[in-house]
Amino acid sequence: MKMMKKLQKMFGAYCYLLPSLLVFAVFLFYPFLKTIYLSLYKTNRMGQAKLFYGLGNYRDLLTSEAFYNSMAVTLIFVVIVVAGGMLLGLAAALLCNRAFPGIRFFSTAYALPMAIASSSAALIFKIMLHPSIGIVNKLLGTDINWINDERFALVCVALLTAWLNSGINFLYFSAGLSNIDESIYERASVDGATAVQKFFRLTLPGLSPILFYTIVVNIIQAFQAFGQVKILTEGGPGEATNLIVYSIYRDAFFNYRFGSAAAQSVVLFFVIMLLTLLMFRVEKKGVKY
Amino acid sequence: MKKKRAAAAAMAAVMTVMSLAGCGASANGSSAAQGAGTTGTGAGAEENAATAQEGAAEAEGSAVLGNPEGQSITFWHSMGGVNGEALTALVDKFNQENEYGIRVEAQYQGEYDDAINKLKSAQIGNMGADLVQIYDIGTRFMIDSGWVIPMEQLIATDGWDKSQLEPNIAAYYTVDNTMYSMPFNSSTPILYYNKDLFEKAGITEVPDSLPAIQEIGQQLLDAGAGEVISLAIYGWFFEQFTAKQGAEYANNGNGRTEAATAVSFDENGSGLKTLTAWKSLYDAGFAPNVGKGGDAGLADFSAGKSAITLGSTASLKQILNDVNGKFEVGTAFFPKVNETDEGGVSIGGASLWALNNNDPDKQAAVWELVKFLVSPESQAYWNAQTGYFPVTTAAHEEQVFLDNIAQYPQFQTAIDQLHASSPESAGALLSVFPEARQIVQTEIENMLNGKETPEEAVQKMASDINASIEEYNLLNE
Repeated sequence: MKMMKKLQKMFGAYCYLLPSLLVFAVFLFYPFLKTIYLSLYKTNRMGQAKLFYGLGNYRDLLTSEAFYNSMAVTLIFVVIVVAGGMLLGLAAALLCNRAFPGIRFFSTAYALPMAIASSSAALIFKIMLHPSIGIVNKLLGTDINWINDERFALVCVALLTAWLNSGINFLYFSAGLSNIDESIYERASVDGATAVQKFFRLTLPGLSPILFYTIVVNIIQAFQAFGQVKILTEGGPGEATNLIVYSIYRDAFFNYRFGSAAAQSVVLFFVIMLLTLLMFRVEKKGVKY
Repeated sequence: MKKKRAAAAAMAAVMTVMSLAGCGASANGSSAAQGAGTTGTGAGAEENAATAQEGAAEAEGSAVLGNPEGQSITFWHSMGGVNGEALTALVDKFNQENEYGIRVEAQYQGEYDDAINKLKSAQIGNMGADLVQIYDIGTRFMIDSGWVIPMEQLIATDGWDKSQLEPNIAAYYTVDNTMYSMPFNSSTPILYYNKDLFEKAGITEVPDSLPAIQEIGQQLLDAGAGEVISLAIYGWFFEQFTAKQGAEYANNGNGRTEAATAVSFDENGSGLKTLTAWKSLYDAGFAPNVGKGGDAGLADFSAGKSAITLGSTASLKQILNDVNGKFEVGTAFFPKVNETDEGGVSIGGASLWALNNNDPDKQAAVWELVKFLVSPESQAYWNAQTGYFPVTTAAHEEQVFLDNIAQYPQFQTAIDQLHASSPESAGALLSVFPEARQIVQTEIENMLNGKETPEEAVQKMASDINASIEEYNLLNE
């Protein structure tokens, strides 16, 4: 009897976990293992593993200029997207944190980018950024070929992505702001604190848990940006916007070189994992709950 | 209190979206694995391919056509927008009028690239379509795949007269004397020019080569053109410039006598000539970088900014609509690279491939549909609606066609140009063509952005494409 109880205690928990583990196994673990398997092979035109290549795909990657370019481009992209998306979201959340007429309209507008598919946004931006018929050049009075000029293409794609991500960030921050006790602001006012002081001493520390979470999610999301690149620039001009995820797509579904694509996926996985681990380290120091 | 609840609701929404985002993420991550999942069923697909090839070998020139009565078939195509509507109209007409009660379900499968990629995945699971529309540069892949019944066999079995087809178009799809697929929507690139601007600049002779465009460039700018030529970075144009020089793009007779093992535009010098002329136009400020892809140069032209653009004949209707009478649109032959060039253009567009589903009855139904789609009446309608060539010469006598050409005389240029080209300029076949095109475009961009000289760009193109051909040939023997 006692034995049974013990067994139940040991395995009971796993039984509850089983359904989710099954789903994970089909949609995450199996594909993950298969990706690692594929990264050791060269594939034929059907994408079937054909020739064992060992670590050759990784060696080719690490010696190819294009891969380092992709990594560099991706890092710049992530920095712009995360910084831009979070600042936009935070600013919008702060603005909407007080009651004023029309607040519903504004909060909807600020959250809206969340509901826009990246590819449809990209299509709209493509027209807006068109050098001769686009509205951006008309408004700025410039004659810049935004998405075909190496200097601007990456920034354009990144800013578009930042705007798209700002919607969900706005939601996070709004939720975070409403959790900060109003009364501490009143007390601070009585003590004569300025708005800037209040923001840095009260708002930011109060937001720190959600801020941390948002950073992690934003970074992962930025690494996975795809639709806007495919539609706006196709990785060009040259390789200027060839983000790692787009490069994976191109190798896998355009060139049917799954081995190389899988190797890139594995590298990307480790990069994101390292970053996430690093951030959890930082979290222990900076985040106050 | 109310605020708290709102916050909770917001969090809930966030969680939902997160889980969705999670899904998207795993889909991305498993994209490679999707291809991997194919390995399991791979053996079956290969077996199929083997039987298909055996079938082709034993029944050279004939196929079994069963009874098409009451069959349902699936037709995958890549025609969106106006062209998609025209195709749907044709299929609907077939469904209503065919005497066998055949039902065709036409499914839009995205652009050409997407459609061929979907087919690759679908064929592995044996759940593909009966008839698919595949772009020109997918031809070599489709032949190699072993999934298809050569159209030639259906033609021979039925005793259909192949000479109805426009010879230069049929030549493109004929490999080793076998016509593998039925041409359906074919186009060539032509030069569009703004007649009003030309008149203002006092230019009477339309340039027929890139150097000739360079000569009149300044005149056009002085006459108020914002750009001389909006020349899109498009792999197809590079291929056409090669064909215009009468040179081969790839070895082994442009990949037609045997699968190509390397490109030849580097060794025969045609690639360098094309890029040098292109760069020289760019450096003179006449041909700025307007972007990648077939449509990239059209907007500037329609807006009246550029005096000249290059584009597919299939864009004629679109251009005329967009220009909407603001100025007069002229058309001319696709420009040569050197004054002395004597080559022609090759066709682009797509053709219809019958997949081998081992069902003679369905094959018969597919053949009925194909015959209907290339009939003079259908082709005349198709041409008038889209601007693609009528692939059947008899369509030239249909009233619909005559009316259309009376309304849009510019279209005559396209037909003259096609007839002026010889079947020898049929264009290259390359297993890795989609990738080759991307490489060409990337290197042209690098050249225009000053990162490479034309010589370096050609070298890089050739070495990249050759590496990819070599790997493909190694892995797909």
